[in-house]
Amino acid sequence: MELRKGIAVSPGIAIARAMVIDSKDYRIPRRSIMASQRAGEIKRVRLAFADAIRELDQIQTAKRIEEGSIRDIFAVHMRFLRDKRFLKRVTDYIEKELVTAEYAVSAILREIASHFEKVDDVYISERAADIYDIERRLLTHLLGKVAEEVEHLREEVVIVAHDLAPTQTASFNKTFVKGFATERGGRTSHTAIIARSLGIPAVVALEDLMSCVTAQSTVIIDGNRGVVVIDPDEATLEEYRAHARRFTEFEHELDGFRDIPAVTRDGVPITLLGNVEFPDEAEVVLQKGGQGIGLYRTEFLYLYGGTEPTEDDHYHAYSEVARLMNGKPIVIRTMDLGADKVPHTNRHPQEANPVLGLRSIRYCLQNLPLFKTQLRAILRASTLGDVRVMFPLITTMQELRQAKMILRDVMEDLDEYGVPYNAQMPVGIMIETPSSALTAGLLATESDFFSIGTNDLIQYTLAVDRGNEHVSTMYSAAEPAVLYLIRSVIHDANKAGIGLSVCGEMASEPEFVMLLLGMGVRMLSMAPPLIPEVKKIVCSVTIEECNLLARKVATLDSQRQIKNLLRDAAGRILPVEY
Amino acid sequence: MSEPVAEIEVEIQNEEGLHLRPAVQFVDVASRFRSAITVSHGSVQADAKSVMEMTLLAAACGSRLKIRAVGPDASDAVAALGELVAKNFPPTSKPAEAKKEG
Amino acid sequence: MKLSDIVCFSAIVPELEAKDRNGAIRELVGLLHQSGCLGRNDPEKLIRAIIQRENEASTGMGKGVALPHIKADGITEPVAAVGRSSHGIDFRSLDKQPVYTVLLLVSPKDNPDKHLQAMEILFRNLNQDDFRRFLRQAQTVEEIAEVIRDAS
Repeated sequence: MELRKGIAVSPGIAIARAMVIDSKDYRIPRRSIMASQRAGEIKRVRLAFADAIRELDQIQTAKRIEEGSIRDIFAVHMRFLRDKRFLKRVTDYIEKELVTAEYAVSAILREIASHFEKVDDVYISERAADIYDIERRLLTHLLGKVAEEVEHLREEVVIVAHDLAPTQTASFNKTFVKGFATERGGRTSHTAIIARSLGIPAVVALEDLMSCVTAQSTVIIDGNRGVVVIDPDEATLEEYRAHARRFTEFEHELDGFRDIPAVTRDGVPITLLGNVEFPDEAEVVLQKGGQGIGLYRTEFLYLYGGTEPTEDDHYHAYSEVARLMNGKPIVIRTMDLGADKVPHTNRHPQEANPVLGLRSIRYCLQNLPLFKTQLRAILRASTLGDVRVMFPLITTMQELRQAKMILRDVMEDLDEYGVPYNAQMPVGIMIETPSSALTAGLLATESDFFSIGTNDLIQYTLAVDRGNEHVSTMYSAAEPAVLYLIRSVIHDANKAGIGLSVCGEMASEPEFVMLLLGMGVRMLSMAPPLIPEVKKIVCSVTIEECNLLARKVATLDSQRQIKNLLRDAAGRILPVEY
Repeated sequence: MSEPVAEIEVEIQNEEGLHLRPAVQFVDVASRFRSAITVSHGSVQADAKSVMEMTLLAAACGSRLKIRAVGPDASDAVAALGELVAKNFPPTSKPAEAKKEG
Repeated sequence: MKLSDIVCFSAIVPELEAKDRNGAIRELVGLLHQSGCLGRNDPEKLIRAIIQRENEASTGMGKGVALPHIKADGITEPVAAVGRSSHGIDFRSLDKQPVYTVLLLVSPKDNPDKHLQAMEILFRNLNQDDFRRFLRQAQTVEEIAEVIRDAS
């Protein structure tokens, strides 16, 4: 039994077999197998060799390799892959050492390469590169099969990896993937966000995890305490099963809130919405009793697939969500990526400071065809439900006006071709920078609604990178400066009579819910699994006491004092957590 | 009846030694014959039909090698390989055949 | 594409005669028409369409700039006129400030991509303080033309 400690980024407990996802970009760690798995691993190696040979054959035929030296290289690789003694060396290694196919391939090839590297002769030592190439090819086939397996899971697993890319997580089937554990990542990493959205436990930043997990390991992921247990003994397993039961009961209790309206004890209705990234999550929003989608992040369309999404790609995703939400409001946020993340652009600038650079709405306004494509799809989808559009990272009036001008131009284009859309589609903006927060009054005259993105607002206001472990403790929604800005935005929105929601993490943190209600917020949007808990808080408080709390907070001048006060207040409502 | 055996000693003249392309050529030629063929230098041995073993041998041992074939076409095998070495591994005009190994 | 590819150099007015929004629009469309940039389009119709569009939503972007635009048949390339007013014109701008520079754009209706390209270039330049300032400081047609030729 091995224990590893990391950062808990999504609560819950999962106990399942590990599905280990190696990456050919990282060193394959030595990983043991049981004697009973020998035959299986050897078979995998044979298959990988056969696949690699077939692949090389196809490439050779397809590209009609004629040039001498390239032909020679292919000949070398092919000869190696067909060399029975080579194959035997790898399978013997598995037999004797009881290690995984990936490790055996890697170990043997590296051993061979090292013989070459030792030779003085530069020509031979350079051939080591050919050996590494063969290693890569074989690993790709071995790992590729694993990737396929993930897409066709038929039993419950927890995913264990060095790191997970958005493209990988997009294919995870919630029914079978019960949790994640990665060596890299932090609270704001993609892994964390996806896990929270799907409501499955996850622990990241686990040092040295990959070398002690095997494909047959049972793994416990404790997303509450940030602990991962590999091959637990009976006692530990029992203990965790009991934890898991208690947690499930708690969740069921919360699920019971699904159909109960979110109304405070003194009768004030609060709208609870979900933040989503993938169409499937829309279902989770409804399951958890959400009344709509307060933030539909559209970035995955750009990250998954490797080419810029077409208008139909966008439309397909939006219409799917609209269908699932069946008339409940959906707020679609336009692309919020940095220039460096947009696929297939060669013309993006080298930026010393991309976070403060050409990203999000700024990028869109300098790449109108890309922006227009998304806007067209959103407008087309606006006939399918209560669809609204929201522009991120607005910092000036000018930006807002330009964005709206383009939206208008797109509407005119659609008119040209008789394509229907909702001409009254509400257009809102995210308030997530100090400049927009300070000029919210003016922006409110040209926006239909605001959504406060507290994550970025806190970062920009306090000039703190929450992912930087040296300063991340400074990042806090309880900082007086942040609360001051939020208060000011709420005031401006109310004065202009426009809708306001809070869609950052603050909206789902129990300590802050009462405060936000007391400051005047009536709409909160959060990761869907967190909706029941927030609803419980809403149903347990009166606006009167929230107002009192907010007034008290306004008199305090340190985030610590404020945090303590809020924690006490929340503790009285949700004793289980505290 | 015991199988025929043939053996020769060769010196690789190739400036670059038995590098990968020549090694592959060597293996291709060796693979055409049914005999079991070993190449050795002192106590280090390699199967002439395994590119892995041949390149490791060459890497370790340099240029003086003994070729030994055991089987019905042993003398033909040894002759062919000897000729290849003597002619200093002339590049072929058609793609090296990736034949199945025995 | 650069800004100088879009602007019609014979449709530059350093001091608009009109003191009101509709007049400015009329003046600039008139110039484009005279310069032969509007093909067979009836300038009156264009003027009415632009004014109607302005009534629905102002193109006064703020910082003293307005960007009235329309799509029309019968032209193949986007074309823009530049007009300046030292008094300032009320375009019912977002920031409630008067407009000192009007860039009027007419784009080919059947080529929305070219229109977008033109808009991108206009935005790119209008977002720069330097460009706006130079444009405002230029006194004559030639000086304005130079600012435009130097622009990206």
